[in-house]
Amino acid sequence: MPRILFTQQLRRFTVTPEVDTPATTLQGALDAAFAANPQLRGYVLDEQGHVRRHVSIFIDGRRLRDRACLAEPLGAESEIYVMQALTGG
Amino acid sequence: MNDEQLLRYSRHILLDQIGIEGQTRLLEARALVIGAGGLGSPAALYLAAAGIGTIVLCDGDTVDLTNLQRQILHHTPSVGRPKVESGRDTLHLINPDVDVIALQSRLDGERLDAEVAAATVVLDCCDNFATRHAVNRACVRRAKPLVSGAAIRFDGQISVFDRRRADGPCYHCLFPEGEDVEEVRCAVMGVFAPLTGIVGTMQAAEALKLVAGIGETLNGRLLLFDALSADWRSIQLARDPACPVCGPA
Repeated sequence: MPRILFTQQLRRFTVTPEVDTPATTLQGALDAAFAANPQLRGYVLDEQGHVRRHVSIFIDGRRLRDRACLAEPLGAESEIYVMQALTGG
Repeated sequence: MNDEQLLRYSRHILLDQIGIEGQTRLLEARALVIGAGGLGSPAALYLAAAGIGTIVLCDGDTVDLTNLQRQILHHTPSVGRPKVESGRDTLHLINPDVDVIALQSRLDGERLDAEVAAATVVLDCCDNFATRHAVNRACVRRAKPLVSGAAIRFDGQISVFDRRRADGPCYHCLFPEGEDVEEVRCAVMGVFAPLTGIVGTMQAAEALKLVAGIGETLNGRLLLFDALSADWRSIQLARDPACPVCGPA
């Protein structure tokens, strides 16, 4: 089953930081994660439902290029990793 | 190298991958360190100790008491002093042969471009996205390797962006510049003290490898460190062919 997980920085907005989901697309997996962690949506997606610029999503190690297209298919064992750009120095 | 230098750097020279040739490259190199805070402190300390010939240290801030929890370049008597002056003094205590150029300003525009052009390697240890993107643009323009690090709370990120390799991405390929970027600063978010040491030290290691021309760098890879779980994650990065910074004009 695909698994979606979030970088430590985003986990502060989660109740369930790792979500296993039967979703077959990235959109479905994100929806499952947002259902479990409603506060997370605004930090990952903008008002248009596009991935925010300071967030990068990797599916099985491949970075999602099109921030507006969340229809990317998932494999049965896909791992989705959602991370945020950091500035602290 | 004179006798004292041969002795000082003997533990490097003993390494087959470095030797006298590699150490000479370090001594002839010029590293631009942007930020003399949590990341810049350990990075600059190791660069100086390792014998980088010239370190250009840039930071517009003065030392604050709250910095001392992690910014190991500075000491309690330095509170109130410019960070670059405090940093220069500390680096000279470790290695008086290193030429430390202290620039007390936030570099941008032509000055940034000129410093990047003069550098052998650039280390981004700053605390804001505007500078990160400006430094990235200058490094792409001047084809200089950029060692990028960031640390906040318990999260660390390290990568190398080296456009001398055709398929290497730039910072903008990974995190496009935009208005919706949330600045997450240590001052409000907090940061775990040794995390900055871990990330900054990794930056120094990558910079030294780049200068000496040894090993495999983090070019095309992003390392993520979760200090709470002590987990490292390595993610492959690809160039964005449509990137407005490093893509075709």
